[in-house]
Order: sequence, then C-alpha cells, then structure tokens
Amino acid sequence: MSRLRALYAIMRAGYWNKVRTYRFLIILGLTIVMGYIFVPAPDANYVTLGWGSSTTFYRGVYNSAWIGALVAMLTGMFLTLLGFYVVNDSVKRDEQTRVGQIIATTPLRNSDYTLGNALCNFAVLSTMIAIVVLTTIGMQLFRGEDPIIDLWALVTPFLVLVLPLMFFVAAIAILFETRPLLRGGAGNITYILLWLIGLPLLSESVDLFGIIAIRSSMSATGLAKYPELAQIQSILGLAWGFPQGRTLATFTWQGIHWTSELLQTRLLLVGLAIGISLLASVRFSRFDPARETGKIPEALPSDVLDMNEVQISSVVRLKEIQLRPLDAKALQFRFEPILFAECRLILKELKELPFLGIWGYSVAGALIIIGLLFPLNEAHGILLPVSWLLPVLIWSKMGTREAHHQTDQLIFSSAKSLKRQLPAVWLAGFFLAIVTGSGVALNLAFHGEWLGVLAWFVGALFIPSLALCLGVWTGSSKLFEFIYTMLWYIGPINRMEILDFMGVLRGSVEARIWQFYLAITIVLLGLAFVGRKWQIQRG
Amino acid sequence: MRLLQLLIENVSKRYKGSGFFALREINLDIGHGILGLLGPNGAGKSTLMRIIATITKPTNGLVRWNGIDIAKQPDEMRIVLGYLPQDFGVYPNLNADEFLHYMAAIKGVDPKAARERIEDLLAFVNLLEARKRPLKDYSGGMKQRIGIAQALLNDPKILIVDEPTVGLDTEGRVRFRHLLAELAGERVVILSTHIVSDVEATANDIAIINKGHLVYRSSPEELLKLVYGKIWEWVIPSKELTVAKQKYLLSSIIRRQDGLHIRVVAETSPDKEAKLAGSPTLEEAYLYSISTHRGAKANE
Repeated sequence: MSRLRALYAIMRAGYWNKVRTYRFLIILGLTIVMGYIFVPAPDANYVTLGWGSSTTFYRGVYNSAWIGALVAMLTGMFLTLLGFYVVNDSVKRDEQTRVGQIIATTPLRNSDYTLGNALCNFAVLSTMIAIVVLTTIGMQLFRGEDPIIDLWALVTPFLVLVLPLMFFVAAIAILFETRPLLRGGAGNITYILLWLIGLPLLSESVDLFGIIAIRSSMSATGLAKYPELAQIQSILGLAWGFPQGRTLATFTWQGIHWTSELLQTRLLLVGLAIGISLLASVRFSRFDPARETGKIPEALPSDVLDMNEVQISSVVRLKEIQLRPLDAKALQFRFEPILFAECRLILKELKELPFLGIWGYSVAGALIIIGLLFPLNEAHGILLPVSWLLPVLIWSKMGTREAHHQTDQLIFSSAKSLKRQLPAVWLAGFFLAIVTGSGVALNLAFHGEWLGVLAWFVGALFIPSLALCLGVWTGSSKLFEFIYTMLWYIGPINRMEILDFMGVLRGSVEARIWQFYLAITIVLLGLAFVGRKWQIQRG
Repeated sequence: MRLLQLLIENVSKRYKGSGFFALREINLDIGHGILGLLGPNGAGKSTLMRIIATITKPTNGLVRWNGIDIAKQPDEMRIVLGYLPQDFGVYPNLNADEFLHYMAAIKGVDPKAARERIEDLLAFVNLLEARKRPLKDYSGGMKQRIGIAQALLNDPKILIVDEPTVGLDTEGRVRFRHLLAELAGERVVILSTHIVSDVEATANDIAIINKGHLVYRSSPEELLKLVYGKIWEWVIPSKELTVAKQKYLLSSIIRRQDGLHIRVVAETSPDKEAKLAGSPTLEEAYLYSISTHRGAKANE
C-alpha cells in the first residue's frame, strides 16, 4: 500500500510540475491545431487520409468512427515524437531542484521512482490526448457531415491505439533520462534519429501505430462501394497539391473490429513500457554524481580542503592578503579577449561531447581531413552533414549557456555585454561551423565549385544564427536540437532541396536556395539581438 | 579622491502576475564604507541587490550612481561594479584560471592586467593549487571563493555581495571580512546577509529590511542603543522553555546544570527573577527592530 502511495505521490507532483509550464501549453496548443488540420474541409487543397486520383478523392464520411481513427493515427505519430520532449525532464528536474538528493535518502526503491515517473509522463501525455479527443468531437460537429456523436467509436482508437503508445514513449523518456549518455542533448538527438529512421523500419514488421489494421478495414469498406480504389494508392499524412475542383466520393465506415490479436499487440506494448520503466532503474545513479560519471575525483591539494583550512592559523594567512589596485587603463573592453574566451569555452565542450569524450577533437580533425581527401560528391553529400551534426550539442547551448549554468547574473551585470558577449558567442559558433566543415569547403574550392563554397558559407552562417535565436528566445537547447536534426535529416540527408541549408544538393545550389537561408540568417540574428536585449533589460 | 554616492530614491518593486511587493519605497543614501544590509529571508534584500546591480529594474523610484540614473545608463554602473549574487553558477568544464579569464574578458579587463589580477585573486581566495582543476570538481565553498574572486576582477568601485560567506569555512569567513574592511576605504560596499556577526565585524553602517520596508538605518552603535536596558537574563527549568518561547522574544538559550540561561529582549522586566544583562549584542538589537516592525505592521 505504501508503495502505491509513493508511486501516486511521485506521479502527482511530477504531473502538476509538468502541466504548469509554458512548454506544455505550447505543445498542447499545437496539438489542438493539429487536431483541426487533420480533418480537412472538403474543398481544402490538402488531404490527410483517403485515396486520390487526378479527378476524384475518395474518403470516409466524417462520422465519429472515421474522424476518431483518423485523428488517433495521426496524433499517435505526431505525439510519439513531440510527446517525448514534453516529458523527458523528470530526473533532470529532481536533480536541478536538488529534490533528488532528498529522494535518494528515503527508502524509495529505484524501480518505484522510475515507474512513478513513467506513470507521471503517461498522465501528462494522456491529458494531451484527452484534449485532442475533445477537439475531435468539436471537429466532427464543425465539419457537419454526420451530426451524431458515437462516443465509443470516436474514443476507442485513442484508447486502444494511442494510449499504449504514449505509455511506451513515457517509459522510453525515463529510460533515456537514467542513462548518462542519453540524457540531455544527446538523448534528444538520438530520439529524433530513432523516430525518423528506426520507427519506419520497425513499422514494416510491427503495426506499432495500428495503421495497417485500420487502413485495411477502411479499404475493405471503400472497395465494396468503389472497386476502382484497388488501382489507387492510398494516402495517410499531410498531402498537398490536390486540385480544389476535384470530385469528392465518400463512403461510410463504421469503425474497426478490434480483434484479440490487435488488442494483444497493444497489451504487449503496455507490458513493454512497464518493463522499460523498470529497466530504467537498473544502474540508475540515484542522484550520486560520482556514480554517474564513473569518475573518482582526484584528491584535492591539502590546502584547499576545507577541513585543513580551519586548522591553518588565520592570523598568519591574513598578513598575506595583498590585492594590488588595477590600473584604470586596464578596462579596455576589447572584443578579441571575449571572442577568444568564448572560443575556448566551446573547444572545452567539444572535448566533453557524449559518446566521444576526449576523442571529440580527433573525430572533428579526422572529418576535416577525410572531407578534404574524399571524392567531392561523397565529401559534399555525406561528410559535410556528418561534420555538421557533430557539434550540434555545442551550438544548442548558444544563448542558453548563461541561464543553464546560472552565470547570467554575472554576465548580464557586466558592461556592454549585449554588444560584446552576444556577438562573440555567435562568432565562436560560426568559427566552429567553419572549422568542422573546412575540409569539404577546401575540397569544393579545389574543384572550382565556388557556388558550392558560397552555399556552404551561408550554411555556416545559418546554423549558429538559428541556434542563438532559438536559445535566447526559448531558454532551452531542446528546440534547436529538435528543429536542426529534423532539417538535417529531411533536407541534406533525405535530399529535399528547399531544406538543404548546407548546400549539399546540386539542385538547391543552382536554385540559389542559399539566398533564402542568408535572408533567414539576418532575421534570426536580429531576433537574437532583440531577445537578448529584452532579457538584459527586463531583469 | 572622487566622492562616490549611491542614491536610492523611493524604490519599489512589484512582481507582475502575483502583484507581490518585494520592496516598498526604499530610500537610502550610501557613500564610502560598508553598508550591512540585514533582514530575514524573503525580506527583499536580494531584490534590492539585483536592482542596484542592474539585473532588474524597479517598478517605481530611481537608483542614481554619482547622479546618473542606472536604469537609463546601466553601463555607468556595470563598469565599476563587482557583484556576487546569492545564487550563481560556473562553467563546469573550465578550471578556475580559465573561468576567471573568461569573466575578466566579459568585464573588459585587458588580458595582461587580467593575468596579474587573477594571480592575486587566486592567492587571496586560496585556490592557487586548485586553479587547474575543473570547476565541476569544486566543493560549494570553493565555488563561493571563485565567486568572490570574479566580483573583484575589475577592481570595482562598488562591490555588492549577497550572502558572501555562505559555504565558507571559519578562516575563509575571517579573511573575507578583512578584505571587505580593507576595500571599504575607497569604495562603496554593500553586504547583504542574514548573519549578523558578519555585519557586526565589518559594517560601519546598517540598514534593516523587513517585508520590503526599510525598518532601520543607522550605525551599529546607534542600533545597539535601541536595546540598552532592554536585555534581561535569568534561569528557567527546561520544562518552561516552550512557554518562554511563546511569551518572550528570546535571543539566547544556554543549557547549564542549574537550568536554561535565557536572554530576553523586552521593554520592561519580564519576570521577577529577570536581571538586566550587561552588554547587548547587535543580534539582539536586530531582533528587537524586526519584532518592533512586525508589531507595528500587525497594529496597522
């Protein structure tokens, strides 16, 4: 009974702590907007679920079953990504507030702590789902194709498909948080990559989102009325470019028959989530930094140990205090020292990158050399994206480092910090991009690809600008890590020209996409400056 | 030598949202020397420090440094300011040397001058031998010493230190007090603390803040005069302690074989056994002024 009470207490405290944040409200707002977008009007120029030919678009009538299943499938996909970022700060919060150290001294078991936090994460995500369900009911009434609300048909896809997924995400979040290498930025990037690359692969063998079952049921109903659907590719997701004058052909789908096999898969997912939550407790550091880093601090020199200091005669020591006055001319406010200091700061961080540790310099150096020596196409298309993924956790600290390490009061109370420190932070980030991508740039130059060099240069300007702007305005490194990795994957890696901010695709360079990113860079820098000015002035 | 003056005129601070007044119409004229800012937790001391340090702006009122409104021209203050906030952090991957060089660059100190200054400061805060260790391996007291060092990097004309001795050991605390005394001759030093003995040892001027109000402003000697003839002591049995706590303003309890020796701050003799104590302490004067203010607020 006391264990249940402990689980409930952890869940409750974490729940209120998470839902009373702007981040939760922003993602909740985004989710509601998505709920609206997922149910397009008949004359909208995009579709989300159905079968499209050049003249006709086939879909189910917007009744409770169709809308419920449609929004549940899309929300499931959408929130397995964003939901992770809403909830992945439980252990971090306990560590930062030092509540963790109090928890560590209680009889609470590690497994109860991790399971309690996974349940808390699940409760937060479930709240979002509940709001989406209410939005979905509103959307059915708003579209008005079927005014009768069948609550069971509408809610069951959420209950059966989405909630187990959310529990799975909640558990993964806590697992990431308890693994030192997967905490913070490294975990954020790893999760996006797993979602982008791993999930589609997994979904081919396991119907994780329940999409296969639902779509085959919808297909069967549609085919019974429109046999020509067998020849048409179905659509799921946001698809644009449908002519507004097309004919809309609808059929009535009454929902899916929940087979025991399908339910078993969902139960398996719940079981897996519980297992992951408990697995998270294995080798959990329990807020002991010594266990976390695996390092044993070196012995302190004898005269800096507090106990020894007490024994030293203060009378003798006090005579030694001599602070020479500082020459008034020593305050010069030159820019180079601060730029050098910011560069040194990021070089130190390069040596502390997760997974790489002290090998950070070597890996960066190797990428520069390989980028220079490899055939141009491979160097440009593969090595540049890799070289510019390596420092992402350093860029993501730009604009947030001061608040994160609580040096903001020291820095913001110093003279001319807006005109000196902020540009120095940006320039240090820019130099990092220049240096890490220099091998490929030189390779481009040797081959006379000057337009490519120009696009590369704009990429080097754009990355720190995006990082600084998002860091200053959000106060967190998460949004940059999320947006940058998405851009990186969809643009340069998946070869979408409009998102090729690095200029690695010949098409995007020739189309002068870099001009677009140059303009954005200027806007981002302006916004970063305004944001920091506001931060300093508002106090 | 140019006269330095920090003038705080009718300064109030009201937090948006909650509407809570952290400060109400504070007026202070501060010159050379050490002003000890005393007050219980949540009194508004740190808010006042942050306003003077240009971290936050007052809702009403002005703060002038040598006649210049620092809300309008914050850099006039920042150039001459040394600030040690109550809660501050460091960059964990840097060592003490690197962090102080970083802060020196931020404060505009020329690198060559910074090198000499850092050498002096590291010696002063007794971190010379630990200077190459990453700050993440530092204890709380060592981090506090780094905070003190960074506040002195630019040889400030105005030094604001918020709870500076928290986390310091006995020697560190003594050294810091001596340093403040040494610095105070040619600068404005504002020492905010709830440790009365720190103020007693260093300040030539005291301001007491309670619930956002300036309760008292005087020299330590004047403050002590408040409680002359108001400190009583006598011995009570242990079982009467709970009643005594409820009944009197206790400033000290010492357990002895014959019972509990208590000291009480009161206008008149609180008990037939009570005798006037010889010399009141600043702590008792502080307690008296806070409790008098509380009583006055309750009667309003």
